[in-house]
Amino acid sequence: MFLHASLPSIAARHQPALVLDYARSRDVSDTALLRGTGLDAAWQAAGARLSASQYLQLLANAARSVDACDTSFMLGQQLLPGRDGAVSHALLQAPSLRQALAILCSWHTRLCPLLQPRLRESGTMQVLYWTDAYGAPSQLPFLVEMHMTALVAMCRWLSGEHLPWRFCFNRARPRHVEQHEVHLGPSLRFDCQLDAMLIDTAWLDRPWPRGNAHACALALRETAQEPSIAPSLSSCLYDFLLQHIRCPPTLERTALHFGVSPATFKRHLARHGTHFQAELDQVRAHQAIYLFQAHGFDNDAVADYLGFHDATNFRRSFKRWTGQTPQLLRHALALFVAA
Amino acid sequence: MLQLHRNSLVVAIMALPVFFLLYSTLGVPKPLVAWKWMDIVCEGGTAVMAGIWFLFTLSSRPRGLVTRLLAGGLCAIMLGSWADCLDEFFAVDKRDLWDNWLEALIPFGMLLVTVGMYYWRHEQFRLNEHLQKRERLFRDHRAFDRITQLADASYLRTQIRLEQERRPGLDCALVLLDIDRFHLINREHGHAEGDRVLQAVGHMLLLNLRNDDLLCRYAGDRFAVLMPGVSREAALPVARHLCQMVGQMRYFARDKEIALSLRHACSMTDGVPEVVLAELSRAVETPPRAAAGTATVAAA
Repeated sequence: MFLHASLPSIAARHQPALVLDYARSRDVSDTALLRGTGLDAAWQAAGARLSASQYLQLLANAARSVDACDTSFMLGQQLLPGRDGAVSHALLQAPSLRQALAILCSWHTRLCPLLQPRLRESGTMQVLYWTDAYGAPSQLPFLVEMHMTALVAMCRWLSGEHLPWRFCFNRARPRHVEQHEVHLGPSLRFDCQLDAMLIDTAWLDRPWPRGNAHACALALRETAQEPSIAPSLSSCLYDFLLQHIRCPPTLERTALHFGVSPATFKRHLARHGTHFQAELDQVRAHQAIYLFQAHGFDNDAVADYLGFHDATNFRRSFKRWTGQTPQLLRHALALFVAA
Repeated sequence: MLQLHRNSLVVAIMALPVFFLLYSTLGVPKPLVAWKWMDIVCEGGTAVMAGIWFLFTLSSRPRGLVTRLLAGGLCAIMLGSWADCLDEFFAVDKRDLWDNWLEALIPFGMLLVTVGMYYWRHEQFRLNEHLQKRERLFRDHRAFDRITQLADASYLRTQIRLEQERRPGLDCALVLLDIDRFHLINREHGHAEGDRVLQAVGHMLLLNLRNDDLLCRYAGDRFAVLMPGVSREAALPVARHLCQMVGQMRYFARDKEIALSLRHACSMTDGVPEVVLAELSRAVETPPRAAAGTATVAAA
């Protein structure tokens, strides 16, 4: 039902091979790159697969050995549409941004296995935010830079123009902000609760010059027939919690849903570097922000929606989840969206 | 680098046991009570340190006169101190001159290092001239980009601050230059070709700058030129000229010619460097106006 970080699932010939090529072009030896991954010389054999943790280790090694602040951005530029057969082909033929994002979100386990993109409509804006699939908090800034660059570069290429994305980052302002300016765009905001990309809905249905709806549909049909890759535990748990967010399930009920004992479930989560309450808090924070933004809810309405007794309780919890009061966050959001 | 100097290294390392053999056969071992520990530590320590400097010098420099002088001098100091140190363990007849000659290696080595330093100073002047447009009066070897050998954005911000502190009120223009359709070059020809384009454009820009200007690789395909003492009016033609020069350059990827062109944006460096650069970045990104082609001029 869900995939462990240690199971082989990522085709070695695709994304990991790109990392290897890039590292070699920057004079990094193969031994330095493969250190700690447990991969042997034949790791790139046809059909060979890496586990998510091996791929993460590979990326960490590349980041450390290349030791330049543009590694994530350079890797990201080559990531999409990728060379993963039918699904990459479908992406390449996507007739519009709407279709491309839909493909990316439904085939994320193949196209971007480490971070899951989630698209939500919020008023006249589309919000695409990325969530960590395999619990790599220390690598999250790197992964976010890499995946955002991948999507921006692909859209720029396929649409033939610079799309006016706006970016939110769940981190403090980095020293190498110039890389974000050049590789992503000038509209950047740091210290947000989400790693998100915003774009006006009007851009969704503009036809793309390279697009071919028929070829895209054919490639998608072919993709659907290939064996699919299960999403990670974090991804499944996020979906489950979001679905039941109005009356948050307990750890016991969630474990039951996943068909394991609560103790086993806890152990799985610990292996992903997280625990149940943290995941629940994150989903609730994301949902609260969405409700503020998309539906213009006030504190009372959100408190009611998320099953809190009153707005005061909700405010206290929200401050605990995000370090900010709902009021401040709403104000900052409104400013950024209006900018 | 060390492989380049294998012969020198072998000779230096062989000399150490030879000296030892010389002292142990021609001298008489001193009893333990006669050992002067302070002298042993000082002289042995000097030998070890000089040996380390010798290795550092060889491992960081190509062959040449300066390298020979510096490394030879340090090697002589190392061997002289080693002889001096062995002297503490073996009694040698004071009438034997060979012992004195070996110890005289120390002042001789110092002389060599001094001559080496003299030439090294000349070499540095030449290199400074060469690096002038890349670094401007402040050296930080960690700030250099490995592909273009140009300074990076954090170095640029430091330079802007230094310029503001040193000469407040003086005009200082800043130009950002961005290569058009660079992402397509990367997609169609691969990253290695993209890197070569960056190098070529970097060289072309360097050739067309004054000695006082500083060229940096801001990030990706975006270059920055800092022009102290230049007003906005004077900077605009310079920026246009740089774009023209790159536009006229003929660049070949394997067998196919790639047309290169630049966009530019200018402003003055009055304000916080981060803010000035972010605004300028935004300006250089706005798509070129249909008529102007490459000239997008922003008023910051």
